[in-house]
Amino acid sequence: MSTTLQPYLKAVRQTLTAAICVENFSSQVVERHNKPEVEVRTSKELLLTPVTISRNDKEKVLIEGSINSLRISIAIKQADEIEKILCHKFMRFMMMRAENFIILRRKPVEGYDISFLVTNFHTEQMFKHKLVDFIIHFMEEIDKEISEMKLAVNSRARISAEEFLKRF
Amino acid sequence: MILLEINNRIIEDSLTLKFNNAAAGNKPEAIDVTIADFDGVLYHLSNPGGDKTKVQVSISLKFYKDLQEHGADQLIKREYGSFLTTPESGYNVSIAFDLDHLPANRDEVIKKAGLLKRNCFASVFEKYFEFQQREENSQKRAVIHYREDETMYVEAKKDRVTVIFSTVFKDDDDIVIGKVFMQEFKEGRRQFQQAPQVLFSHKEPPMELQNTNAKVGDNIGYITFVLFPRHTSPAARDNTINLIHTLRDYLHYHIKCSKAYIHSRMRAKTSDFLKVLNRARPEPKNVEKKTFSGKTFKMN
Repeated sequence: MSTTLQPYLKAVRQTLTAAICVENFSSQVVERHNKPEVEVRTSKELLLTPVTISRNDKEKVLIEGSINSLRISIAIKQADEIEKILCHKFMRFMMMRAENFIILRRKPVEGYDISFLVTNFHTEQMFKHKLVDFIIHFMEEIDKEISEMKLAVNSRARISAEEFLKRF
Repeated sequence: MILLEINNRIIEDSLTLKFNNAAAGNKPEAIDVTIADFDGVLYHLSNPGGDKTKVQVSISLKFYKDLQEHGADQLIKREYGSFLTTPESGYNVSIAFDLDHLPANRDEVIKKAGLLKRNCFASVFEKYFEFQQREENSQKRAVIHYREDETMYVEAKKDRVTVIFSTVFKDDDDIVIGKVFMQEFKEGRRQFQQAPQVLFSHKEPPMELQNTNAKVGDNIGYITFVLFPRHTSPAARDNTINLIHTLRDYLHYHIKCSKAYIHSRMRAKTSDFLKVLNRARPEPKNVEKKTFSGKTFKMN
C-alpha cells in the first residue's frame, strides 16, 4: 500500500509545479477589481482543466488552475470512526487559523477535507518551489499525525482500563 | 494520575489543619467553606452556631432520597456514630467535631470524614452484595439518579450483582472516544481474570433493562458491570465499592484528558506547519548603501 505513496506524491508535485504558473490578471467583469478567477469562475476562458490525482477512491487531490490563482483540495484517508473525528477536528483547528496560514482556504471544497488557495500575490511574495514543497510535506505529515493521535487515544484507553481492572 | 481519588482532599486538609491547630493549643479560627465534588455533591465546612471550637462537615447529595431507600442512614450512623448531628438546613448529613475534645485517633477520623460521599453510596452496594452473598435474588432493582440525565441501576441475583450505569455524552466526538475506551474495558478480562465482566451498549438499554422506561438516544451509553462472588465477598467488598462508584467520572475524566492531549498535539503540529510555510518566504535583503558624500541608508 505504501509503495503507491511516492509515485502519488511525485505526480502531485509535478502537477502543482506546472499549475502554479500564475500571473496578475485584473477582473474582466468588474472595473478595478482583482479576484482569484478559480473562485469566481465567471469567465470560462480563464480557467484551466481541473485535474484529480487519486491514490485510491478515498485519497485524492483535486487541482484546479486558472490564470491568476490555483485551488488545491485534498481528501485524507480516514479508515474508521476515530480517524474521521480526529481528521475533522484537526482540519477545523487549522482552518480556524487560516489567516495565519495565508494560503489556506476557510472552507474545504465539497467532497474534500481541506483546500488551499494560491494566488499570484502569494507567488510574488514566496518561492513557488517552496510552496509546492510545503503542500507535499503537509500531505505526508497529516497521515502520520492522525495515526499517532489515534495511537495515543488507544494506548490511553488501554492503560486506564488496565489500571482500573487490575485493582479488582 | 490515572485513577481518581475517592476521598475529598480538601476536607481532609482543612480538618487536619484545624485539628493540628487545636492540638497545638492555638486559638481556633472561623471556617466557612463550600466545596463541590463529582456528581453535583456539595460539602459545607462551618462553625455551627458561630462556635469556633466546633467544626461541622455537611454533605448534600441531590439524590439522597434514592440512597435513603436503601439504608444510607443506617450506614452513616454506623460509620460516624458519635459525630453525627442534626443535618444542617439544605444538607442531607452533618457530622461535627469538637476541637476542645479531639478524638484519640485523629487521622482515622479525618480519613473517614473525607470518605463521606463514598459512604453515602456504599449503602446501596452493601445491601445488594448482602443479597448475593445469601444467594437470594433481589426483588427490586435499585435506581439512583445520581446525575441530571444519568442513572445507576443495581440488581442482585444468586451468583452475581449487576451494576448498570447510564451515561450521556454531550459531544458527538465523545461518543467515538468513549467507544474506544469501552472496547478496552470489555477486553480487560483477557488480561485480568479477576476483573468483572464489562459490557457496553450504545443508544439502547441492555437486555436487563428492556422493559423499563430507561432512556434511549443517540448520545446515551449503558455500561454494565457483572460482579461475581469474589468481588462481593466481605473481604473484597470495600475495594469493589471504592472502584465502582466513581466509574462514570473516571471515564469522562479520561475522555476529557484525551481531548486535551489531542488539542495540544494539533497546536504543536500547526505551528510546525507554519514554520515550514515561512521557509517559502525569501529572506528580507537588508542592504545598507552609502552615497558618495557619506550618507548611509537602508534598502528594503
